[in-house]
Amino acid sequence: MLVEVAVAATDHDNDKLSPPALTVGSITLAALALPGLIGVAHADGAPTEGVISVKLQSYDDRQPGLDRIRVIAPSLYVLAPVASNWALEASLVHNDISGASPRWHSAISGASHMSDHRTAGTARVTRYFDRISVGFGGAFSEERDYRSRAASADVRWSTPDNNTTLYLGTGLTRDDINPVNGVVENEHKRSNEFMVGATQAWTRNDLVQFNVGHVVASGYFNDPYKLVDKRPRERVQTTALARWNHHIEGLGVTVRSSYRFYRDSFGIRAHTATVEGVHPLGERFTLTPSLRYYTQGKADFYYDPVYDPAIGEPYPPGRPRLSSSDHRLSAFGAITVGAKLEWRIDSRWSADFKYERYEQRSNWRLGGNGSPGLARLRADILQIGFSRRF
Amino acid sequence: MEYVAGDDAQDHRFRFAAMASLCEVRLAGLPRALATAHAEIAIAEVRRIEHKYSRYRPESIVSRINTAAGSGEAVPVDAETSQLLDFAAQLHALSNGRFDITSGVLRRVWDFRAACVPTADAVAKAMAQIGWSRVQRTAEAVALPDAGMELDFGGFGKEYAADRAAALLERDGATSGIVNLGGDLRVLGPRPDGSAWSIGIQHPRAPEHTIASIRLARGALATSGDYERFFQLDGKRYCHILNPTTGWPVQGWQSISVVAPLCVAAGAMSTIALLHEDAAAVFLSDQQVAWLGVDRDGNVLRRGVSA
Repeated sequence: MLVEVAVAATDHDNDKLSPPALTVGSITLAALALPGLIGVAHADGAPTEGVISVKLQSYDDRQPGLDRIRVIAPSLYVLAPVASNWALEASLVHNDISGASPRWHSAISGASHMSDHRTAGTARVTRYFDRISVGFGGAFSEERDYRSRAASADVRWSTPDNNTTLYLGTGLTRDDINPVNGVVENEHKRSNEFMVGATQAWTRNDLVQFNVGHVVASGYFNDPYKLVDKRPRERVQTTALARWNHHIEGLGVTVRSSYRFYRDSFGIRAHTATVEGVHPLGERFTLTPSLRYYTQGKADFYYDPVYDPAIGEPYPPGRPRLSSSDHRLSAFGAITVGAKLEWRIDSRWSADFKYERYEQRSNWRLGGNGSPGLARLRADILQIGFSRRF
Repeated sequence: MEYVAGDDAQDHRFRFAAMASLCEVRLAGLPRALATAHAEIAIAEVRRIEHKYSRYRPESIVSRINTAAGSGEAVPVDAETSQLLDFAAQLHALSNGRFDITSGVLRRVWDFRAACVPTADAVAKAMAQIGWSRVQRTAEAVALPDAGMELDFGGFGKEYAADRAAALLERDGATSGIVNLGGDLRVLGPRPDGSAWSIGIQHPRAPEHTIASIRLARGALATSGDYERFFQLDGKRYCHILNPTTGWPVQGWQSISVVAPLCVAAGAMSTIALLHEDAAAVFLSDQQVAWLGVDRDGNVLRRGVSA
């Protein structure tokens, strides 16, 4: 029977000093055989608890005078530890899309109203070794006219102090495209992706990450629902990402910032800067406001739509070999402002609410030289989610 | 659970009562919301063990085993209980019978409130019901042969709970803090700046004061002493730590604190050390642990622990 000791662990010792020598006697050895006393202290260790979460996301976008697309997407995510060194993750999302197709820029079988649904899922299995984890994943996405299958593999390696993690990943995607308007049949797209990255705990309060990705893809990139849309059959994309998470001790706030550079063989150059602040509010709530700015230059073969009151829909001047008027290939800038509130209901349940407002305008491009003739686009994204640990 | 701010905005202390003690989970280097989430999981684990092994709860596994004593019925036990019984068996062997989880029956004859020394006859009768070697067990079940025999996990239950709670915190990524269950504690890791925690040892004769402090950056510390329950009669002190081989309270030390990698080991060693009386130092040296003792005259002895 042991007795109480007043524990006054309050005197702060600034002088570094080694702990008392901990050697092992027979009673210590006997105690080590007891179940569950030694925790897994690895930052990147195998999860020992499962998570199941359900989220409902609504996406609602519009252009001036036109409510365009509404997407309601319920999703399900499951993370289950399997045995002691394996983890299995799976997610499933189903979108119902309805609404008008983007004004002026595309046409689908003469109809201006679209309705579709998409089902997508991912599965991933990870094997954790002492310092290394190896993951394999698969993904599918199914729409009426578009089918995608993907496989990936990655390796992560952590240094013994867990301060540095290196990442190496590769992926393969194959898409089958069968547009309902029959412009093409059984078209394919194939892409190979490679990624390397490093995460470094710089100080106690700073975490930095760099990664570079490279995608080589070939196949059918055209938008079959656009009247004139001819794009190259090869696309090479490169991205570089730098991330910095900084914890401000005095305020208890963590600031996450990142910068991403993108370029591809279509001629698009894009920059994204994101900053968000994680503010704990009392014991149960965390509020994370975020701001993101995106800017891109147009693709080499993007042409500015010219509207003719007599002819109507725009056609590219002349008959260029490649051309597209897809607004996603135009030059524009976009700002996303949002906030996420996380509510930890108890030790098992949590809920989150997220709202984001996205707005895209040609003249918000960095330097202001956006593509002319494009209406601004606004979208509201609302998400409600619940998760439970088990 | 009561929240008490620690030394800075990233130091959080969660106090609660469990196992008849004041307990605290202290976590540093984390935002409060995250620390709260961690602490709730750790405290739930302490309560789970308390419910499962308390002899004051009729539905606990220990109560069911004790109630079935003498009935000839073997009570099925789960793997965790079976492993704790294995540990008790090893402690019994390693202490030459001094640490015996069936010795709780001595409490019936040593009444610390009445403050009187029992008769030799009463002590002998109680002694007849002690004996770990008479406990009948397999890996799946346990039976006590005589009505009146009792098992008591009080000798390591609290320390086991501290280790389990600490392991959950470590698993969840907590690297700085202390799980302290009534003075038996496990340190998760040093303060965020890398310095050790300074842990005060209660003065055995002045409960409001500390007699010494020990610096710990990791590992565990547990203390046993003669001051939790005792009475004085004719100038002699009779404490609640009873030697199952004699039936009498131990003499020789006011308290012994042991530092070990695990709290359950530190707790067992501090108790067994007191049961060794004058041979405590030899026993602890054989176990190769650091310790701090307050001898019968109140002198502080340190072996391998820094102030």
